Amino acid sequence: MSALAKGWDIQIRVIKALMLRELTTRFGRENIGFLWVMAEPLLFAVLVGILWRAMKGPFEFGVSVIAFTVSGYIPLVFFRSTIGRAVSSFTANGGLLYHRQIKILDLILVRFIVEFIGHLMAYLFIAVVLFAFDIFPVPYDLGFLVLGWLYYALFTLAITLVVAPLSEMSEVVEKFIPVTTYMMVPFSGAFYLVSSLYPAAAEVVLWSPPVHGMEMMRYGVFGPSIDPQFDFVYPLEFCLPTLVLGLVLCRMVRKRMVIE
Amino acid sequence: MITCENLRKSYPSGHGRREILKGISFSISKGERLAVLGRNGAGKTTLIKQIGGVELPDSGRIIRSMTNSWPIGFNGGFQGSLTGYDNARFIARIYGKTYAEMRDFVEDFTELGGALRQPVKTYSSGMRARLAFALSLGIEFDCYLIDEVILVGDQNFQRKCHVELFEKRADRAMIIVSHDMGTIRETCNRGMLIHEGRATIHEDVAEAIAAYDSL
Repeated sequence: MSALAKGWDIQIRVIKALMLRELTTRFGRENIGFLWVMAEPLLFAVLVGILWRAMKGPFEFGVSVIAFTVSGYIPLVFFRSTIGRAVSSFTANGGLLYHRQIKILDLILVRFIVEFIGHLMAYLFIAVVLFAFDIFPVPYDLGFLVLGWLYYALFTLAITLVVAPLSEMSEVVEKFIPVTTYMMVPFSGAFYLVSSLYPAAAEVVLWSPPVHGMEMMRYGVFGPSIDPQFDFVYPLEFCLPTLVLGLVLCRMVRKRMVIE
Repeated sequence: MITCENLRKSYPSGHGRREILKGISFSISKGERLAVLGRNGAGKTTLIKQIGGVELPDSGRIIRSMTNSWPIGFNGGFQGSLTGYDNARFIARIYGKTYAEMRDFVEDFTELGGALRQPVKTYSSGMRARLAFALSLGIEFDCYLIDEVILVGDQNFQRKCHVELFEKRADRAMIIVSHDMGTIRETCNRGMLIHEGRATIHEDVAEAIAAYDSL
């Protein structure tokens, strides 16, 4: 086997083993097991959906208010919980680094993948249930829905890669993360359409990469009536350098890590 | 062969850093059993961790042309929150071995019985040592890194360790940290004394022990 194929083989093996381990340690093997991964986002989405329904009536921006809230809130919860789980994830999993084939990047990646799959499943599940009650539309363009998720996920991964090593370097960062992710709410695009904002405000929020992903998703679900505002290139211009910065930081932290 | 060239390692200490290893060089080949001697805090475990790749040295190089185990000790290599079986499953997965084989070996070697279904954090240190050895002997390595846990536990377990390590795997390399000079004299054929961050290699292990005693 060539060195590359062998490396790939090990990589897949490690990711698989870590995923299974993460699922068993977090959710256990009892009752619904790893399906719990959907529970939190579902609960959040349902409660916030009901709250908005009560406050705003059945429609918002010409579409079902519940569908609108849920489609915005689940990706936001995904972002926040992924960042939350990345904080201090190296120290928490230091013992795993006794095995040389496990890299700290694998630790981040695995947690990211588990969150991504879990929230995607929650999104799908709730969409199907709401569809049965005629509250959620058949997606106008499934491709854009998926693309929007991928843009959103790329942004989340890039930020995770920076936050995880920074939280190891400084306790101040660690303490500030929850507040900062909360401040992200208005910049996530979850609760508005960019086209409904004042032009000045729209200009500001479009500097935030996840807003573009969110608008793509919304277009994919609701179609052109919501007048989506997004750019394909700008989010990449932000995310790719951030990703590289994250990789550099991870390398620096690994070098200095003290493992019991 | 595993070759270390001029390894240096420091840890944060107060506002500065304290250098534990101040340039250590040596190499070990198959069939050699190297004892690492030194006072508490001399840097024996630190050295083993660098060789195992658990931590990375500040400078210097480690060239590995044979596979090496993770440092086998009371901690590390397994996870306290998981059960013995779960740990065996995880290790089997990441090292590409079938779980059935691993499970049978672990059950047979550790004789822990039902305790394998309990989280490892509930184990005594003797039980941990058994599990640690079983997990690492379940995977074949060219070089085993053994940190302090050698020949702990009861007579029966000691005999098993002896057979598995020094008889069945006599052709492998081993780096052994221990304060038990009897064991060292019996099992090792080379010695390294770490003192004040530097290492002296003795090709005769008795010489190394004598040097250690005279510290």
